[in-house]
Amino acid sequence: MASTRIPPSPETQADATPAATSAGFLANKARFRFFGLTLDGCIKAFFGGNAVVAVLVLTLITIFLFKEGGGFFAQNRANLQIYRQAGLEYVDFIRAQTTGHTALTHELSDLRLRQFHRLTEAGKSLAEANAALAGFDEFANQFGDAIIPLRGLLSDLTETATALKSKFATTENLKIARQQLLAAGKTAEADKIVISEVNFDAELKPLLGTLPAYQAASAETAAKITAALTVKPALPTPELQARLEQFKMLAAAYVADFPAVEKNLRAWDYRQPVPFFRSITSFIFGRDWIAQSSWQEWYGILPLFVGSLMVSFVALLFAVPLGIGAAIYINQLASPAEQRIVKPCIEFISAIPSVVLGFFGVIFLGENLRLLSQQSWLAWVPGFPFSERLNILTAGCLLALIAVPTIFTLAEDSLNNVPRAFKEASFALGASRLQTIIKVIVPASLSGIISAVLLGLGRVIGETMVVLLCAGNRIAIPDFTAGLAVITQPVHTMTGLIAQEMGEVPVGSIGRHALFMIGLVLFFLSLLINWLAQKIVRRYRIAID
Amino acid sequence: MSAATLSPMERLPAPPPSSPSLAVAPVAAMSAPAADLPPSRPIIDIDHVDFFYGQSQALHDVSLRLDEKKVTAFIGPSGCGKSTLLRCLNRMNDLIDGARVAKGSIRIRGIDIHAPAVDVIELRKRVGMVFQKSNPFPKSIYENITYGLRLQGVKDKGRLDAVVEKSLRGAALWDEVKDRLHASGLGLSGGQQQRLCIARAIAVEPDIILMDEPCSALDPISTSKVEELIHELKKEFTIVIVTHNMQQAARCSDQTAFFYLGRLIEFAATRTIFMNPSNPQTEAYVSGRFG
Repeated sequence: MASTRIPPSPETQADATPAATSAGFLANKARFRFFGLTLDGCIKAFFGGNAVVAVLVLTLITIFLFKEGGGFFAQNRANLQIYRQAGLEYVDFIRAQTTGHTALTHELSDLRLRQFHRLTEAGKSLAEANAALAGFDEFANQFGDAIIPLRGLLSDLTETATALKSKFATTENLKIARQQLLAAGKTAEADKIVISEVNFDAELKPLLGTLPAYQAASAETAAKITAALTVKPALPTPELQARLEQFKMLAAAYVADFPAVEKNLRAWDYRQPVPFFRSITSFIFGRDWIAQSSWQEWYGILPLFVGSLMVSFVALLFAVPLGIGAAIYINQLASPAEQRIVKPCIEFISAIPSVVLGFFGVIFLGENLRLLSQQSWLAWVPGFPFSERLNILTAGCLLALIAVPTIFTLAEDSLNNVPRAFKEASFALGASRLQTIIKVIVPASLSGIISAVLLGLGRVIGETMVVLLCAGNRIAIPDFTAGLAVITQPVHTMTGLIAQEMGEVPVGSIGRHALFMIGLVLFFLSLLINWLAQKIVRRYRIAID
Repeated sequence: MSAATLSPMERLPAPPPSSPSLAVAPVAAMSAPAADLPPSRPIIDIDHVDFFYGQSQALHDVSLRLDEKKVTAFIGPSGCGKSTLLRCLNRMNDLIDGARVAKGSIRIRGIDIHAPAVDVIELRKRVGMVFQKSNPFPKSIYENITYGLRLQGVKDKGRLDAVVEKSLRGAALWDEVKDRLHASGLGLSGGQQQRLCIARAIAVEPDIILMDEPCSALDPISTSKVEELIHELKKEFTIVIVTHNMQQAARCSDQTAFFYLGRLIEFAATRTIFMNPSNPQTEAYVSGRFG
């Protein structure tokens, strides 16, 4: 260290070897090194590493979701293709025809039931009531029996198509097995597997050959219905009579639709390829989600999407007034003592495990809501009384509880950020407390409040356990014709279905890929909600220096 | 303003002994107005007021009578209680937990403003306020000015328009903003914002306007505009202004009250305070030797 002790002249400094100079620095710096990093470097690397891990995990999740979900559309297309090739589509044209008839018969039985009640209420005995409805019954029976020829044909065709489909599936499985053997190098064993390609042309002959039979059956059904409609059964109650008239019009329209079905059957061609976009549209707009069916699997997200939205909407309906109201009270009106008690209580709600809330919903809330709905003095509430204890309303109430802490905390924060000066200015102009809150403080924090609501929505849409336990898990688009009563119907949700089925679908199956597609939809939905929330906060934030 | 900061200063030898008598003296002088002040009737009568923030006393036995349509300046070093007294006049201190007038009374036009029958909202309509930092609402200029009137239930568009123009002209802001009345008040410059706040205060036509260091956050040009404005406003309003700026007090006010450590030290015509103060502390402060 001579160089440090003797102050070097400019010349010697210029001449000094690099080694000597670095030795001088090393003496001061070489205290701690880890993989060539100083302590500062290590700390920086540690924190930087944490940040990178977060980004990395997010990227991996996204890639994983896309990879697993992406395979879905190709598989779904194959699924739709075989639906056509094996003639299932053809059969479903006829099935739709019989389903239409079934719906009409339900209407008839409903009418009869109502009329029967009216009659017995009016003091008629059972025999008298039945006698009064004899004419109607005859008409109903005629109408009901009209479908028999078609239904017989349908059940034959169903068997044919199912057999063809399973034959195709077997062939496909054999092909896969052979490929696996070939890949493993066992050529001899692979050669032993005999694959006879399915000849759709030949196999579909009998199916298509039934067209004349269908025409006969359809004509017979149409004739019988038309004959039945000429009878004029009368119902004693005018209101029900009006409904019967309406029914007749519906039935006539139904029969008038028969030629269209026949036209579909004639035009149908199993060789026509299914375009790829059908695979996507049948997922996005499909109204059925039927997995693991012996007939045909359908993967339409619409009922689940609508279910999720309905449940979330009901939850926000309760949570928004509660959360924002509580935030305004606590931030503006409450005494310090009240703040100390209420705030932690609301925030604690978010600490309750959602499975516990769901359990509470199943055991307590659902049942009690059902009992409450059956009180006669509450009959004016739309949808009351209801008999399903697990429904949109039950799940929505519990989800509201989950959204309240989020909305409350964020809304309270944004109220807190309103400068005190606004409040003082308002008071100094002679505003009351309430006027100040409504006219100054809430408008000034509106962007924060809206984003609080959006983040609450994000929280609710992603919630799984509560909806799985309490929403009723019926995969169907709720019947919106019921008006507000729609909220007492059971639904299934996107999150709930994933949780329910993920353990049961085999790896690589279309069902599993479909679940991942739902995951992707959820992912993008949350992304959208969060992005909107942030955008609103930035866009409308008041410039306060 | 806590007890902890007050007590060590009070132990200093300089201020206490003569101050009580001197504090009373000018008030006594007020009842028989000084020769250089034209006679006018008092609108605000502050009578032996003690004021506390929780346990710490911020005002000690302050008595003052302020004249109508005059500008009164409150001066004094930081923490002397001048802002506290100002905020007592429209009971803005009610917003602070534990703040209270413990003794004495404040009467405006003869009515004790702390009486239980007084509606504090009515009081604040009569006693407007302009704050240290301009605080227009995050609303349009028009909505800012009509805020007070709308609170009172005025909905007539014609009247609101008239008031907006009158107030903005009154605050010398009309020519600058008349084309953008519906733009946000926050888009104005600092000086314009403060004049907007003054316009907002005069829109409800109060009797008295309190100004709490209205120019402390403004540049010199904006400051002189506000000072000119104060000069204009005193034709219609009684103005009480708290200021740290001695020149400002000298320029705009008719009377000046000097506070120190929560006590009123001297109150007289502004010229007297600045040219010929009777109290040595006042002289020391106005001549810049302390404070």
